[in-house]
Amino acid sequence: MLYSVETRSLSKIFGTVNAVNDISFAIKSGEIFGFLGPNGAGKSTTIMILTTLLKPTSGQALVSGFDVMTQAKQVRQSIGYVQQESTVDEYLTGRENLVLQARLNHIPKEQINKRIDEVLELIELSDRQNDPVVTYSGGMRKRLDIAGGLLHHPKVLFLDEPTVGLDIQTRRKIWEYIKKIHKEFEMTIFLTTHYMEEADQLCDRIGIIDHGKIQVIDSPENMKNAMGNEVISLIFENGNSNDFLSQLHQIDLIKKINADNNKLTIFTSKGTEVIPKIFQISSELQIKIISLSLTQPTLDDVFISYTGREIRDEDTGFNRKREHAKMKRLRA
Amino acid sequence: MNYLMYDTYTIFWRELKRYRKSRSGVLIRLIQPAIWIIVIGNTFSGTRPLIQSVGFEGPYIEFMAPGVIILTAIFTSIFGGVNTLWDRRYGFMNKALTSPISRSSIALGKMSAISLISALQSSLIIGIALAIGVTFPNPFMIIPIMAVVILFSMGFSGISVIVAATAKSQETFWGVINFLGMPLFMLSPALFPLELLPGWLATIAKLNPVTYTVLLVREMMTGVSEGGISALLSIGVIAVFVLVMIGLASYVFTREVNKPF
Repeated sequence: MLYSVETRSLSKIFGTVNAVNDISFAIKSGEIFGFLGPNGAGKSTTIMILTTLLKPTSGQALVSGFDVMTQAKQVRQSIGYVQQESTVDEYLTGRENLVLQARLNHIPKEQINKRIDEVLELIELSDRQNDPVVTYSGGMRKRLDIAGGLLHHPKVLFLDEPTVGLDIQTRRKIWEYIKKIHKEFEMTIFLTTHYMEEADQLCDRIGIIDHGKIQVIDSPENMKNAMGNEVISLIFENGNSNDFLSQLHQIDLIKKINADNNKLTIFTSKGTEVIPKIFQISSELQIKIISLSLTQPTLDDVFISYTGREIRDEDTGFNRKREHAKMKRLRA
Repeated sequence: MNYLMYDTYTIFWRELKRYRKSRSGVLIRLIQPAIWIIVIGNTFSGTRPLIQSVGFEGPYIEFMAPGVIILTAIFTSIFGGVNTLWDRRYGFMNKALTSPISRSSIALGKMSAISLISALQSSLIIGIALAIGVTFPNPFMIIPIMAVVILFSMGFSGISVIVAATAKSQETFWGVINFLGMPLFMLSPALFPLELLPGWLATIAKLNPVTYTVLLVREMMTGVSEGGISALLSIGVIAVFVLVMIGLASYVFTREVNKPF
């Protein structure tokens, strides 16, 4: 099977709101696919359709070759779903939580213990497995959640914002685990995140969704390259600035130079290759460079360029309701 | 279909694990029925002549003890479904819904666990009743009494699961449950003989499954039957009630959880 997840003209309408508006995409088997978008863009709705929690209004979605509408049970057998919020039972031990998860996924009785040992090992929780989860840190709970999603060796693993609310050390550790499990089980991973660094680190390809529509799908590198310019800012002193400028203009990779006395702003497509050439010219002309910096486009820039700068408080009705519920919970 | 029992057991197991870890609640939930049996049981001890007029020989407290046992069962089981709302909010429900288990097994697992818990709570009330001097002509009757309580609670937990699955908030749930629980208890011969109720109240009471459960348990505890309602009829009514609730709860639960929360 070539594609693990495939949608064709998928739409979901809540009342008058087009939460997901005619989206089509395909994720290859074994790929780590990042699904990004501002709050209320349609991410949650899409993930809920793909995990059989919601029925689409129109269109088709196939997960692991099965239709989410007509073959929901087969879809559920082939997916692991690690939700954004921790779903482990606090008063049960880590191991009891995994036993529950194993039974929910119909893992044959004689294999349950072996599978649990295997994922506990992988996620490095073996030594705490018999402690109640209430004593676990946020990072450990998340690891336990991920372990639960792996027990039945799903073909597609959905990770919904796996590192939200975790500190940087824990976040990096979780990335390592995700890479490790991807290598070990070779499953397709469908990941949503708000952290561009995370998407950049983990994903083979990224899809950006906004206003219920897919805006772009590509690899992180291609996306950043497509943003075009890298910017070199440079300050120099002494020497003939006219000679310096004219020689810089000879470099093919430089597209444009803005000069302001002894300050230059250089636009290029390959900053890292241009910088050595600048130094070569400056030393030949006996020009002293005081400071130099290179700014490369980040995935943040890509994201902003596709989704705009406004903050999304005006969510879709569905998401506003969810947010509202979340606020209520936080206040309680 | 072959997994229905296994899946029901999985959810049942999880609910009981959670119950076991929240032991502090067990005693708190006993306080109210204990107050009922001690305070109401003694307050109305003067009604003994009335009780005797319909054939009961013992003191009032022996007459009303079965009513309080059923009260415990009603409230334990009708409150029991509330964690469905937590499960939906905190994601356990989505975890279960995206796994291959059937929707009805989630409802049935919860109901079985609730009814077992309800029976445990009721047996503690029987203990209290014995401690304050209520006597059992036949102590072995406790086994069929527990069976009736489990069966009855299964039906009532169905009400709870239906309300919890339909309600979107805690406030709605508690509102509806309080609206249902107390009247169902009051509109039964739990505290007063059926034959002495005003005609219209007796008619309403005869439509209430609680009535048949109270009469059955009272007959098993005291040996006296009431109002011409035989044990067999009571068992039949309870059985039908439970079957209807199992079917209805599975149906409503499955329908509701397929909607976004």
